[in-house]
Formats: sequence, structure tokens, C-alpha cells
Amino acid sequence: MNAALSRRAAPVLAVVRLDVRLLWRNRTALFTAAGLPLMFAALLLPARGEEIDGRSAALVQGTGHLGFFLIFAVFMNLVSVFTARREERTLKRMRGTALSDAELLGGSVLTAVGMYAAQVLGLLVLLGAALDGRFPADPLLLTAGLAGGAAVFALLAFALSGVTPNAEMAGLTTLPVMFACMAGSGVMFPLDELPDGLREAARWLPLSPVVEITRTAYFGEDADGAAVGLLDGWSHSLYAFAVLAAWIVVGRYLAGRLFRWEPRRG
Amino acid sequence: MNSEPVIHVEGLRRRYGDFEAVAGVSFEVGAGELFALLGTNGAGKTTTLETLEGYRPAHGGTVRVLGHDPHADRRAVRPRIGIMLQDGGFFGDLTVAETVAHWRGFTPRPRPADEVIGLAGLEDRTAVRVRQLSGGQKRRLDLALALLGHPEVLFLDEPTTGMDPAARHATWRIVRDLVDGGTTVVLTTHYLEEAEHLADRLALMHRGRIGTSGTVAEVVAGHGDRIAFRLPEGLPVAELPAPRGAVPDLAVTGGRTVVTYTVGGGGLQPVLYELLRWADEHRVALDGLNARNASLEDVFLSTAEGAAA
Repeated sequence: MNAALSRRAAPVLAVVRLDVRLLWRNRTALFTAAGLPLMFAALLLPARGEEIDGRSAALVQGTGHLGFFLIFAVFMNLVSVFTARREERTLKRMRGTALSDAELLGGSVLTAVGMYAAQVLGLLVLLGAALDGRFPADPLLLTAGLAGGAAVFALLAFALSGVTPNAEMAGLTTLPVMFACMAGSGVMFPLDELPDGLREAARWLPLSPVVEITRTAYFGEDADGAAVGLLDGWSHSLYAFAVLAAWIVVGRYLAGRLFRWEPRRG
Repeated sequence: MNSEPVIHVEGLRRRYGDFEAVAGVSFEVGAGELFALLGTNGAGKTTTLETLEGYRPAHGGTVRVLGHDPHADRRAVRPRIGIMLQDGGFFGDLTVAETVAHWRGFTPRPRPADEVIGLAGLEDRTAVRVRQLSGGQKRRLDLALALLGHPEVLFLDEPTTGMDPAARHATWRIVRDLVDGGTTVVLTTHYLEEAEHLADRLALMHRGRIGTSGTVAEVVAGHGDRIAFRLPEGLPVAELPAPRGAVPDLAVTGGRTVVTYTVGGGGLQPVLYELLRWADEHRVALDGLNARNASLEDVFLSTAEGAAA
């Protein structure tokens, strides 16, 4: 059983090893995927002691970053990986080996998600150790929300790479999504501060449900600060999970339509 | 040897938008055979090959590789074939040794790294980044990676393009050894010499179709052996003979008129005999006389011209 499992995992891990080495060699990509999250995390420190709605500002923003880091390690990273490999025809070459499509693409997603998971753990430690944070009230809910977010942003990365003409442009095509999510998903400030109409629209951004679930799971409180029990956290997050599910369906559809293995002809 | 063909293609069609790149192509390749697809650029060779490799589905007709549909059953076929793409990219930042090591990770039961690097002839370049290799060296690395998994069927898309003559001959030797060892090979090329050198059978493609196919001898047969000489001075053109019905064709090159007879099915010998007897009887000296069999080049050019007209 274990031997069979490791035989099946071997090709995926071979892709992971390649991805890690290539990311290490490409300092620009490494900065986007790991350096930017590090900077955002460091910027939490000066916010110590400030408060938003009776909560520590550093913790509110920090829990926002738990979701926000999906943009760097998963979304921007994968858009540039798939776009560059398509245009350099390395995707085509790798597809000519014994690797299946799922192993080939899954390996890169696994690398990205693994890197993101490490950032989440690091950030949780930072929140707890330096910013007077706590152990997440509902770790399972937290994991479910972040995993759903990872699925959404990986699928969106497949789709966006298909319409990104080359690796240099990947920095540009991902930028609107980054800014929209940074401003409109409650990462930096709670969505309550937005006017009504805008707030409802903002709740439908792909990152918004992730941030909402993350905060509920971390603080064990809803957005108004009322304590919620373990199961209540899940029922409070139903709407957010529905939005996530909708994005997964949309992302899956767009990825199927837009992702390309090879450059356009001519 | 298996009686089932390793590759079976029947009525293959493949479009890009409105353009039909492959317009009904059929051929079979048996186990241990080397089959060459020849043609000008845009003839549909690469599209045909990439359909066989499973990169894209056929839009019409049937394609079977090792008994499977190579696109729908990629998982079954890919581990048993080797692919050398015409334009597959390398990760330029990896060294030769790193590239081989990573590719071995993608391949079940791979050849040892040393053997692969030896096949590529890159023993003294292992620490060099791939982007610094010459075009020919990249092609040899390409070939070596295609051989990594001991493939039963090997697809080579213009394998020696960009190689110097020494590398080309080394590559031919590797490919011939593989075929001797029982590997089935399909290659595309626009080097006629390469096809003549390697192919058991070949097909000439033009504009998405196969014009002629068979062994080199079969393809060349009936395409006219040639006899040529310089028109003797003072001899009226009308007095040229028509040995065995062959009609003289005149062309001026280098200020001299050259007479060429293209000989049909019967072969060179009887025509040449009649021509020489005529020359003897009329005491005519045939300067620059030469007689030669048709070459693949003649067939290639006439296929291209014929279809272009």
C-alpha cells in the first residue's frame, strides 16, 4: 500500500523538485512568490497597538493576509509559471514524457500551495508570538476556507495564463486581480466601511469569502464581534462557502476554456 | 516481429481553423521499421507526427500507436514512446546534468544518467547551462532525452537540423543502432540524404497529402533515369535520335546546349545502347556524357513542382 502510494506520488514529486529548483534560480519570481508576502508580514509590526473596531489592527490585517498571500504564492506564481512554460515550449516538452497531464500540472499546483501553506504557518506563528494573537479558534474551518481559496486561485491562474501572452505580461495581467482583492476583500480594512452597494459586490470577489471564513475561524467571532461556537462558525460561513463554490465552478469552466498547452500558431 | 503494425494511420485529417494541414493521410509502420516523412515546410509532416504522439486529436480518420488511440489513451501510450519535438523548449537555467536528472524523475525505469549524457555526446559539458549549448548540442540532448525510457517507438521531428556533419553522422549511427535493436522509428526530415541513409520506407508529403510512398527504390522507380550530353556542334537538333522512343529535352547551361533524355520504365541500359550505337554510326562525339538513376531529389522536386502547378 505504502509502496504503491509512493510509486504514484513519485512523478508529482519529481515535478515539485523541478519547480522548487527553477523558482530558486528565478529571483524575480521568487521575490513575487515569497519576498512580497514577507514584506507584507513585516509591515504588520508597526501596526501593533492600533485598533480597528475594538480589535487589534495588526491581527485584523494579519488574518486578512492569511488569505491574501494566495495572490502571491498561488495566483501570480502559477500564472507566470504556466505562461512562461507555454511560451518556452517546456510545457510541451514535459507533456511528451511519461507524466500525465494531472501529474504535470498538479506538481506545479502542489509546489505553489506548499509554499503558501508554509507562509500561512509562518504568519500564524508571527501573529501568535509577536502580535498578541491566539491559537485559531477553529483550525479546521480555517483550513477549509484557505484550501477552498487555494483551489479558486489555482483555477483562476490556469485561466488567466491562457490569455497572458508572455511571462513579462504576467506581472501586468495579475495586477488588477491583486488590487481588487487587496482593496475589496476586507484584507486591509473591514468591508463594513464600504457603502452598502459596493459592500455586497465586494463580498463576491474571489478572495472575500476566504478572508471572511479566515477571520471567523481565527477569532471565533463573527464580524460584529459576537462569540460563535464551534459549529456556529461553519453555519456563519455558509454564504462565504457558497461564494467560494461558485468561484470554483466559474474557475473550472474558465480554466477549461482558456488554458493552453502551446503558443498560438502563427 | 509482430504482424500487427506498430503504427496504423488511415485517412488522417487535421485542421487549424479553415486550414486543413493534413488532408487524408494513410500509412502503416511495422515493428522495427524506420519510416520517414519527407516534405517541404508546411507539408503537414509535423502535424501528422504530433497527432501520432498524442498532442492533438485527429479531426478525421483513425490513428493507432501500439494498438491505442494516442490522444485518448495518452496514459497507456506515452510511457512506451520517445518524442523528439521540433521545437520543444529547455529550461535554459538548468545545466545539462540537472536537465537529465529531472527528466529521469519523469520517466519510469530510466537509462542511467551517464549513458544518456554519452548518447548526447555531452560528457564534457555536463555543468554547462542548457541555454549556452549550440543548436546542434541541444538537438543531441533532445535525442538523448527521447531515449531515456527505452522507448518501443521513437518519433523524431527533423532530428538533425542545425547539426554539423559529424554530429549528424553520430546521430544517424545512434538511430540505426536503435532500429537494429528493434525500435520502431518515425522521422520527418527535409534532408533527402537523411531519408536515403536511414529509411526502410518513406512517404513524400505535400500540402497535407502523401504523394508517393514505398522503399527508396520504389519511390524513385518510374521517376525517370537520366542520360545527358552536350549537343555536338553543327548537329541540327532535328537529327537527334529518339532511342526507344525517348524524346530529347534541350536546355542551355553555361553557354552550351545540353541534351537530356528522361528514361521511363525500361531502365537506362537499352536506351543508352541505342544512343551509343547511333553516335557510333554517325561518328558523333557525345561530350560530357553521363547517365544516372533518378534520385530522391528528382522525385521530391517533381512532387513539389507538380502539386504547385
